[in-house]
Amino acid sequence: MRVPFVRGGAEVLAEDLCRVLIEAGHQAEIVAIPFKSYPPERILDQLLACRLLDLSETGGAPVDRLIGLKFPAYLIPHPRKVIWMLHQHRQAYDLWQHPLNDLHTYANGLDVRSAIHAADMKLLPQSRGIFTISRNVALRLKAYCGLDATPLYPPPRDGGRFHTRPAEDFLYFPSRINRLKRQDLALRALALTRSRVRICFSGPADDRGFERECADLSRKEALQNRVQWLGAVSEEEKRDLYARCLGVLFPPLDEDYGYITLEALLARKAVITCADSGGPLEFVVHRETGIIAEPTPQSLATAMDDLWDDRDRAKQWGDAGRQRYSDLRIDWGNVIENLLQ
Amino acid sequence: MKILVATSGVPFIRGAAEILAGSLLEELSEAGHEAELTVIPFKDYPPNRIPDQILACRLLDLTESCGIRIDRVIGLNFPAYLIPHPHKVIWLQHQHRSAYDLWDQPAAGGLVHSPDGPVIRETIRRADRELIPEAEAIYTQSLKVSDRLLRYCGIAAAPLYYPPANALLFYKSPPADYFFFPSPINAANRQWLAIQALAQCRERVRIRFAGEPGSRTQQAECVHAARKLKLNDRIEWLGGVSEDRKRDLYAHCLGVVFPPADEDYGCVTLEAMLSSKPVITCSDSGGPLEFVLDRQTGLVAQPTSESLAQAMDMLWADRGCGAAMGEAGRARYRDLHISWANVVEKLLC
Repeated sequence: MRVPFVRGGAEVLAEDLCRVLIEAGHQAEIVAIPFKSYPPERILDQLLACRLLDLSETGGAPVDRLIGLKFPAYLIPHPRKVIWMLHQHRQAYDLWQHPLNDLHTYANGLDVRSAIHAADMKLLPQSRGIFTISRNVALRLKAYCGLDATPLYPPPRDGGRFHTRPAEDFLYFPSRINRLKRQDLALRALALTRSRVRICFSGPADDRGFERECADLSRKEALQNRVQWLGAVSEEEKRDLYARCLGVLFPPLDEDYGYITLEALLARKAVITCADSGGPLEFVVHRETGIIAEPTPQSLATAMDDLWDDRDRAKQWGDAGRQRYSDLRIDWGNVIENLLQ
Repeated sequence: MKILVATSGVPFIRGAAEILAGSLLEELSEAGHEAELTVIPFKDYPPNRIPDQILACRLLDLTESCGIRIDRVIGLNFPAYLIPHPHKVIWLQHQHRSAYDLWDQPAAGGLVHSPDGPVIRETIRRADRELIPEAEAIYTQSLKVSDRLLRYCGIAAAPLYYPPANALLFYKSPPADYFFFPSPINAANRQWLAIQALAQCRERVRIRFAGEPGSRTQQAECVHAARKLKLNDRIEWLGGVSEDRKRDLYAHCLGVVFPPADEDYGCVTLEAMLSSKPVITCSDSGGPLEFVLDRQTGLVAQPTSESLAQAMDMLWADRGCGAAMGEAGRARYRDLHISWANVVEKLLC
């Protein structure tokens, strides 16, 4: 399932999975059904479209396994389907009535939401197994649909190429610039730090208005010489920034998974996240591999000061994070073993 | 422009349609557009699955993406070309032929053998008749496809030809003593007819076949027939060849033999013309007849071994005539304006 002309984590994940399956000796191919989530009634049309497709065989030969990743493509019927859920249609679940979404503002919003719930509850169990990319997604599926699922963590792309170097004087905040990633919260916290903490932001802006707000905010708080906006950077530059930073700042709102945490662990860096950040909380152990702050400027400021003032401890936490990554068996071999069993 | 190319595909099977879609995408990007491919999986059996998938295509919404307008959808094959869009252009590669001209051909899906076959055929035809005209413009890959669309659906559409891949790399060399027959080996491409014709030639005509066998039996039958007719020393089976090697074989041949049964388009004809070689085809070969002018750029034989043998003898005996036809073919290619620039312009205007 994909939104035309938009390439995000889901597309990358699908390609990686496909490549790994081929490397393991299987024939694998991606089927991407175009998806548009508005107006709401179109969601149901596309849900029906998925149910009408037939991927049981191709050219007379059985398709041995179908791996469904996203709504509504994961509802395509198949006798040997496994779901590896990236996410449900969050507007109908945890983001219902969320200020950043609008499904609830439509006259038929409630009906569409009920239909999505009914489809998920009735049709998801028509698979051989349900895995999710994170515990956060599994918990949500349990809470809203009463369905059990096992988290199965996908490794970040080119995991082997992350490396570490001695810490320099900046915290690294690598995320697309949008409201859910809360760069604004980090700026408000920065204004409250006791030390002269510096933050380096990288990532393209999804939301120009929000980007401007962030720029205004750093000007208002006179933070210009303590923040750096790098915009989109290459993968190599990104790995270099991870390697050289003092720690990684990743305080999104209820992230599903968040490769950033894993990349930070691979680069042996401590992670500062928030108690409502979702995905990162599965990996960050408070005061062992990083700091879990409250989602307030004051609490986040304290966490940044903490890391800034004790470099040795920051390094210890980074090393402990790398160990935790190994312990969690986050590798593709483990993923495909589970998806194909 | 933001352009979506919409096509249907059979998972794990890559055919001419996928290659064409890939080329089109490249050309659109090169012309400065943002182009993306959307492939809807298609399975044409059991027959009652076909209407389901027509409906699935009708339920998709490609009008916008994240609030940004998709300026154009280019639909290529059934049923993806039925996806609705306010600015859709259809460049029709194939209708579902087993609901049309291949209705009673068991090899082509056998819709005719299904109890609900007639109903499904009518559903497909109605969908095509009523929904194809929604497009702002309709082109086809060849005159044959246009003819079929007009005859069965009453819809007029002009053919829009595209060049073979790497058209600029074809070249010509002085001819050596062989005809070139480049096609996958299967019954419809009629390698067997060329072998029978060879047995009846007066001249010691030689043919080099290149192409993957469609199945092992088809290849074995051809080899067996050649042996029975004692033609082994006049035939070569080269199997699949690289693109480079293929262009060399075109460049050095005396002429190209391309007598398929009712081919839709057939890049082979165009590749022969690009190599300045005469083409021998048959009067029922379909696509090639749009390009081959009898006795000017090649020879159009009857689909019989005698007639095909005569054509081969004639080009074998009169090399000057063959060379002149080859040059005329090259000139005709130029006059037809077969270029991606032309394709892109037509599809976006």
